[in-house]
Amino acid sequence: MRLQFIVCDMLMLPVEHIEAASPHDLVLTDLSASLHVEPLPLRDRIQEEIDRIEAEDPAADAIILGYGLCGGATAGLLARTKPLVLPRAHDCATIFLGSRERYQQEHESQPGTYWFTEDNVKRGSALKGWLLGDASRSDGVNSTYQEYIEKYGQENADYLMEALGEWQSHYSRGAFLESGLATDDSAREVAREESELRGWRFEAILSDMTLIERLMNGEWDDDFLVVQPGQTLAMSYDDDIVKAVPAEA
Amino acid sequence: MADFERLQAAVEAGDRDTAVEITQAGIDEGLDPHAILTPMTDAMAVVGERFSRQEVFVPEMLISARAMKGAVALLEPLLISAGIKPDKTAVLGTIRGDLHDIGKNLVGMMLKGANFEVVDLGTNTTADDYLAAAREHHADLIGCSALLTTTMGGMRDVTAAVAEADDMPDLRVIVGGAPVTLEFATDIGAHGWAPDAASAVHMATAVVEAARGERDADGVIHPEALAASA
Repeated sequence: MRLQFIVCDMLMLPVEHIEAASPHDLVLTDLSASLHVEPLPLRDRIQEEIDRIEAEDPAADAIILGYGLCGGATAGLLARTKPLVLPRAHDCATIFLGSRERYQQEHESQPGTYWFTEDNVKRGSALKGWLLGDASRSDGVNSTYQEYIEKYGQENADYLMEALGEWQSHYSRGAFLESGLATDDSAREVAREESELRGWRFEAILSDMTLIERLMNGEWDDDFLVVQPGQTLAMSYDDDIVKAVPAEA
Repeated sequence: MADFERLQAAVEAGDRDTAVEITQAGIDEGLDPHAILTPMTDAMAVVGERFSRQEVFVPEMLISARAMKGAVALLEPLLISAGIKPDKTAVLGTIRGDLHDIGKNLVGMMLKGANFEVVDLGTNTTADDYLAAAREHHADLIGCSALLTTTMGGMRDVTAAVAEADDMPDLRVIVGGAPVTLEFATDIGAHGWAPDAASAVHMATAVVEAARGERDADGVIHPEALAASA
């Protein structure tokens, strides 16, 4: 099969590894994880790529998405001429943990978990909230603090840092999702330091890349949604996470 | 004489010191505390509208609410002794499993600015917690917030529990948060949904007034319907 693959760069390390052994003709388009700051521009950006691929590559059998629901960002994506396939996942923590069930277990036992991955640490997007889709987080980046001081004065700036950074005190665990593919420990050490700095218990969890592997290998069972041409991707508001609905005329 | 225009401008700008100073001057002059409060609630309404139009963002809302809070702290004893108290009560919380509360806190600040009594249950709130607090405080409204698509399903438990609470037939539920859509709100039987903290205040007011029979509003009310019925 010829598969066009639009993927969040948070997943690049395992994706490049799986791609090397893939039996399929895979064409990768990676998009920056920083697009997660706002769900709507992320959706527009993915749709742009879908539209471009549909126009440029009539030979492709399907477009696969290295995304989950991602805070609702992928809801509304439209398949015009080619099937769109994505894992039934809330976000990429599910993808790294290998199943919805495991993510649910982790979330229920430790709701206050901040997820780190090798790619998000190395690409500098860790602690900006990409994994959990929180656009309103601020982690105390100096330029932002300086900006607040200039705009609102010292006292308000201090208050804003406290109010906007308060989520960190609700969290209790920093979990590093380890693919086992990294060539060194530097990302894990950054994750450990960032967790300890915030008073979170640090844990390294070996990730399970079978979900993304099955996506890339065309093994699309019930863990995946296939959005057929003429359909739109939508939130299902239940355990299926996403569903396909007829596109509005 | 206390300059109410300057007071409103100070709250709009998030200038707490000036807001506190003018409020204190008004108190010293023996002005009606409600008259001092009004320019501040007006200011929050202005900031809320700017927020809905995306002219200002979360930081501006936060500092305005903080400026008002600082000034209202001076007024509170006077408002209480004058018998002026909020006539609506809302119980707010972020839904079970969700620890994110900036949006919920903003809604709380805006509701206080609109003269609601607000009972804030914090984060990770179960349906039982919402109902117990609503019962204890004779609340008109429960407000549920969620940031994660993983947790928003828990709102269904709240609307179901409220529907079964025969002792609180007028209790209403509004829902919101980044991934929460009108479609979802309708599906779970919520009475109101709003896309942002500022519209949540209009929604909360409309839902409570509808429950009291002060205006018509069937099912889920959304901003368009509210505008049409206003």
